[in-house]
Amino acid sequence: MSKWPLVSRGRRNRELEEEIQAHLAMAARDRMEQGDTPHAAELAVRREFGNRTLVQEVTREMWGWNSLETLWQDVRYALRGMRRTPGFTAVAVVSLALGIGANTAIFSLINTLMLRMLPVEHPGQLVELLFKAPGQDHFNAFSLQSYEHYREHNHVFSGLIASADTPFAVHGDGLEPEIVHGGYVTPNYFSVLGVHPALGRPIGPEDGSAESPADVAVVSWSYWRSRFNSDRAIVGRRIIVDEVPVTIVGVAPSEFVGLEPATRQDIWLPLGPHHPSYATTARYWLKLAARLKPGVSIEQARAEMAVLFQWTIEDEFKTNDDRSVRDWKMEVQPAGAGLSHLRDQYAKPALLLMGVVALLLLIACTNVASLLLTRGAARQREMALRVSLGAGRFRLLRQGLTESLLLAAAGGLLGILLAYWGTGALARIIASGRERIDLQARPDLVVLLFTAGVALLTGVLFGLAPAWRASGCAPASSLRDAGRAGETRLRRLFGKSLVVTQVALSVALLSAASLFVRHLSNLERLDLGFHRDHVLLVDLNPANSGYDRERLSRAYQELLGRLEAIPGVRSATICAILPASGVGAMRPATVEGYQAKPGERRFLSENWVAPKYFETLGIPLRMGRDFSFQDQGRLRVAIVNQTLVRYFFGNTNPIGKHITFDGDDRPFEIVGVVGDMKSTDMREPALRFVYFNMFQLGRNFSQFALRTAVDPAAVAGEVRRTVRASLKTVPVAGVTTLADVVDASIVPERLMAMLSGLFGGLGAVLAAIGLYGLLAYTVARRTNEIGIRMALGATESAMSRMVLGDALGMVSAGLAIGVPLALWGKSFAASLIQNLPVKSGVPVVFGVAAMIAVALVAAYVPARRAARVEPVEALRYE
Amino acid sequence: MAKRERYRNRIEMLQGTLDMLILQTLRWGPQHGYGIGQAIRAGSGDVLQAETGSLYPALHRLEKQGWIESEWGTSEHNQRARYYQLTAAGKKQLTREHSQWNEVSAAIARLMNPGEGEGQA
Repeated sequence: MSKWPLVSRGRRNRELEEEIQAHLAMAARDRMEQGDTPHAAELAVRREFGNRTLVQEVTREMWGWNSLETLWQDVRYALRGMRRTPGFTAVAVVSLALGIGANTAIFSLINTLMLRMLPVEHPGQLVELLFKAPGQDHFNAFSLQSYEHYREHNHVFSGLIASADTPFAVHGDGLEPEIVHGGYVTPNYFSVLGVHPALGRPIGPEDGSAESPADVAVVSWSYWRSRFNSDRAIVGRRIIVDEVPVTIVGVAPSEFVGLEPATRQDIWLPLGPHHPSYATTARYWLKLAARLKPGVSIEQARAEMAVLFQWTIEDEFKTNDDRSVRDWKMEVQPAGAGLSHLRDQYAKPALLLMGVVALLLLIACTNVASLLLTRGAARQREMALRVSLGAGRFRLLRQGLTESLLLAAAGGLLGILLAYWGTGALARIIASGRERIDLQARPDLVVLLFTAGVALLTGVLFGLAPAWRASGCAPASSLRDAGRAGETRLRRLFGKSLVVTQVALSVALLSAASLFVRHLSNLERLDLGFHRDHVLLVDLNPANSGYDRERLSRAYQELLGRLEAIPGVRSATICAILPASGVGAMRPATVEGYQAKPGERRFLSENWVAPKYFETLGIPLRMGRDFSFQDQGRLRVAIVNQTLVRYFFGNTNPIGKHITFDGDDRPFEIVGVVGDMKSTDMREPALRFVYFNMFQLGRNFSQFALRTAVDPAAVAGEVRRTVRASLKTVPVAGVTTLADVVDASIVPERLMAMLSGLFGGLGAVLAAIGLYGLLAYTVARRTNEIGIRMALGATESAMSRMVLGDALGMVSAGLAIGVPLALWGKSFAASLIQNLPVKSGVPVVFGVAAMIAVALVAAYVPARRAARVEPVEALRYE
Repeated sequence: MAKRERYRNRIEMLQGTLDMLILQTLRWGPQHGYGIGQAIRAGSGDVLQAETGSLYPALHRLEKQGWIESEWGTSEHNQRARYYQLTAAGKKQLTREHSQWNEVSAAIARLMNPGEGEGQA
């Protein structure tokens, strides 16, 4: 090659031009020296030289092509091919874009939750502590006393930090009052994490003692930018956080937003008595994370923490004589990618979805491969011509691959756009849940690399086989036969096997989608124990209203009456804890007539409600009576649920019996029994619940609930006006509906059902396109065979049947492979997600039925075309 | 297939002859394309004409093969032109082709003039 590849083609062209010019000039000069006139000399020289353009062209051919030029040639050739068949190109690129885009979107979710490391020093050394009671999820929630115990006695951590996440009410000079999410953190928080502030200093040991911490705060970079306009004078500014004036001492670096993945914190305060749980012996409110000492393995940490955890168990035992406390375990988990709270909820759905989108991409690949193959067959003549003109097999293979990689690249680019949009949609769905989640739809290097890798793999995967086939055609036979009947058995089989693969994958995908949709609808139709529809929820905030307890209680009772007077409102009530949003407090109690075994778990869940709570929420009253406003000042009463009755009373009548809570000598008399309802998790069985009359106990709660006869949104405005008119100083903190609250608790399931349904549908459409393409092509190829058959007396319907039979044959083969695949996928999903309706055969049956229907639709047009073949036309076509 | 092989052989033989003549011409020093053409013509007593349509492709092919190299220079009449010269590899190639040529031409001569062969030797 010598220096050739280094010289640009343009320059070489100019040099050749000049070289020939010099030749002509010298020849003319010689002739003139021999006595020719300049004009005669030039004419003669030109004649002698011959066709200059041709000379240049044949000379240029000697240069050959270097690899870059060949590549460019291939690219241009591929682009030309793509332009010539825009329909094919569009279908291929869109299929690939859907596959790649879906993969990118789900991967970016996984990346955010599970892969991306926290922006702290040596994130690999970070661990989090969790405790696990048998049969329950693990929690990162500890008491301050436990934290101090671990901090003082462990030898495995170079630092142990605690934080309590909380929403803060923040206002101050030039600041709109707003809720800012943040946390109380121990003074070693920033130093153990190795997070160095962008401005000012971090919270540190100098910020007072734990008992009297300094009133300081560190804010996040984005909070500084959006609320303080990046003013460098922020250090030293005073703001009001939860009614306490604090001084901002620092701004966190831009990438640090706390320890939870995909959850942003904007303000950090030193942990101290400001936190409502601080002075108490509250047990489960601190999140613990630690940095392993260099050289200490996580196993060593687990061993030591198992010993230290005994202290926590003993402490729990002091007030909880439940024997199962003995079985609590401490877990130490890597936390380099952040704390596990969100990961626990979304990791498994995300991984399952990753499987689903991988299937979708495979279907897209097979689809494009079969399209390429079909088109390759149509271009067989062209290939044969190129082979006979001397194109090498390798060159043709490379050309084929270039084309498929270009398609994949175009699909990848479009896919990134789709993914960008999809990630945003994903974030919105997740944000409708209970968790605050900040899933950013931003281009991330890891995600882009992933996409590029997927696109490359895709291109090779679907391009190799068709390219190989195309490059291997024998010129003589192809030139003779192309465009007519003869197709090799192998090629036909290969095309069919691609369609069979698509059908098999689609059946698996559709079954999975149907499984998840059924799971969701089971949850939605689950008997919650209350009626979720037509309940408006209004949350009031009386904190700074100036009302004392007595007056607020009276005001609330009046307000309930006024709310009920609004047209469209059937009943109104108040409660401490809404259904489907928490268990509330739990206390051990003694129930009259029931002999507890030693070590038995005697805890009851509590809720404080106003009269008409059960009516408003649609919880049936099974026995006795509801609370009334007249209960105030009389003997204390309680209403219990059926689960409690079954547990403590069996079949005997509980009305008139008494419940006494530990540490409280005044008993509650049971006056009513209500139906069970789902409290925290609708996937869990009901708990033993006891309800109190909040007005009787003199406790004010501000969560109002209204049952409406009309759409709850229609009365929301009037409700707000009524509240404002009767309680001028009490603002409305939030308005929502019970249905939204319930929906929020099953967001992971909804996510899976929606996305797998979407992807299942897409997969089926792609398979239909593949099937249609192959059948349409086959019919076109067999036009004269069909014509002859019809000329010989075959009926139109026989021809249609032939095509349909072909289609059904492929679909059956696909089903034979797809059904076992679907069944395996089902049991795999069941191993990850609890309570999936796996016993039911409906999902697989649905997948099969849907696939057959799709196949029939796809085969319809080619079948009709086969039936319409005119024998005369077909024979003339020959 | 067989037909194409034969055709290719014929071309190669013609190419080979011209290549050898070019290399031979350049033994006496660097020369430009026009000069090479003239030298072949003059040296063969006007019998052999190197057509430009063959000469330039041959020059560029030889350069690509590394047997000759080129640089821009000026002729005695102050004409800028591209001068070709033999490389070491080119000299070896010339030797190879020359001996091959001797064998082939002797063989052809024997075939064409069966009686005279002995006499001449």
